[in-house]
Amino acid sequence: MADSFCPDCKRPTEVVFDHSAGDTVCSECGLVLEAHSIDETSEWRTFANESGDNDPVRVGGPSNPLLADGGLSTVISKPNGSSGDLLNSSLGRWQNRGANPDRSLIQAFKTIATMSDRLGLVATIKDRANEIYKKVEDQKPLRGRNQDAILAACLYIACRQEDKPRTVKEICSVANGATKKEIGRAKEYIVKQLEVEMGQSMEMGTIHAGDFLRRFCSHLGMSHQAVKAAQEAVQKSEELDIRRSPISIAAAVIYIITQLSDDKKLLKDISLATGVAEGTIRNSYKDLHPHASKLVPSWYAKVEDLKNLCSP
Amino acid sequence: MAADTVFGSSHVLDSSSSTSSHPLSPGAGVVPAIENVVSTVNLGCTLDLKAIALHAPNAEYNPKRLAAVMIRIKEPKTTALIFSSGKMVCTGAKSEQQSRLAARKHARIIQKLGFDVKFNGFKIQNIVAAYDFTFPINLIRLANSHFKFSVYEPELFPGLIYRMKQSKIMVQVFSSGKIAIAGAQKRDEILKAFENIYPILMSFRADK
Repeated sequence: MADSFCPDCKRPTEVVFDHSAGDTVCSECGLVLEAHSIDETSEWRTFANESGDNDPVRVGGPSNPLLADGGLSTVISKPNGSSGDLLNSSLGRWQNRGANPDRSLIQAFKTIATMSDRLGLVATIKDRANEIYKKVEDQKPLRGRNQDAILAACLYIACRQEDKPRTVKEICSVANGATKKEIGRAKEYIVKQLEVEMGQSMEMGTIHAGDFLRRFCSHLGMSHQAVKAAQEAVQKSEELDIRRSPISIAAAVIYIITQLSDDKKLLKDISLATGVAEGTIRNSYKDLHPHASKLVPSWYAKVEDLKNLCSP
Repeated sequence: MAADTVFGSSHVLDSSSSTSSHPLSPGAGVVPAIENVVSTVNLGCTLDLKAIALHAPNAEYNPKRLAAVMIRIKEPKTTALIFSSGKMVCTGAKSEQQSRLAARKHARIIQKLGFDVKFNGFKIQNIVAAYDFTFPINLIRLANSHFKFSVYEPELFPGLIYRMKQSKIMVQVFSSGKIAIAGAQKRDEILKAFENIYPILMSFRADK
């Protein structure tokens, strides 16, 4: 029931909508104003308990705002099995020949997704890395650099921004073909670009040993007590003047704590889990050893145990 | 050199009058030592690098790596990169006058080989100076409070890189207390940067 203008009566009349035929009919003179109207309500009924794999309400994957058209394009995949049918394979070739402005972007996103899967990162970090890459992509000085280094640097920055930093060595391990130096240089460049574009919102704090400690400990399978002791020790070590990279300090603290417990980890294992060289752990241990009594919490090990600690 | 000491003493007079009012300012005569001066000059004619590499003493030429001849001289101890366009870069000198003298010596070597060299547009491009504060510096606190100017990535480089906001001078600060000032084209830019950074670093001392 609506009021609409009827051409025959030449005045607004009451109009009835007939659902069975899809007609809009004037109630006064019976003139059909619109026929075959398209019903836009849902074609099927959805029940709360049945979902299965096909939810007919949703069509396609989540829209990606970073891509040009929201990722709406259709991709024709190669048929598995016999592809003797000419039509199928030609269609695939024709589709791929078209210039897709987003192709390089999609390829880059795929690489970032692979790297973050390998590191076991959450989707927020991956999405942030995608955003960062989109902001800096296609700038001229970037073209000369190693593409893998740029993507690895985007991931590194994304991890830092989410307060879940990963060491450059860890990022190196999943980025194929990018050296630590290249990733470092790419990271400096991207940070400068982002500061220019977004104006001073890039404030990543310095890394601390404590950020990585939890992860290194779980790689080594340390007991909960040992992990807590290591975290306390690292907190105290920040007040001391030890001129070593925070990662090396974390590795040396883990070494001290595990030497004090029953479950002694070899230097080799710690080196593998943290990415710090064995010689560096030994040297950091030399620096930390004089302060061992201050670092190790008293509830974890008594002073005599500390004396048992082998001197470097 | 006489010229250097004259300059040095005139700075002593200036600093004691103007900056000694600040409690953390450098005292009289405290000045960073210049370690390296890089300069460029245009010799004004195209050069045959292969001929130079063959006939000049102490010359290195590896065209696959770099399209320039590297010539080293003993006094002043410097290295010059000479390009086929006639442009030359002279590095390793310890002062501006020495850099000019060294560039002239390198040009003389090229001249002796028979090229019609001139000495156009001599310009000092970069002066690097170093200083040792002898007290340890807490880089993390410095990076946190001066985050707008500092870049400190202990994983990548052990020194904190401090870029002054007024100029394009860069100061590398190390936790041992040693610093390196680079990017200046004139000596007083270095001294000004040093005077600016001195009180900042004094306030971030790590020893008691």
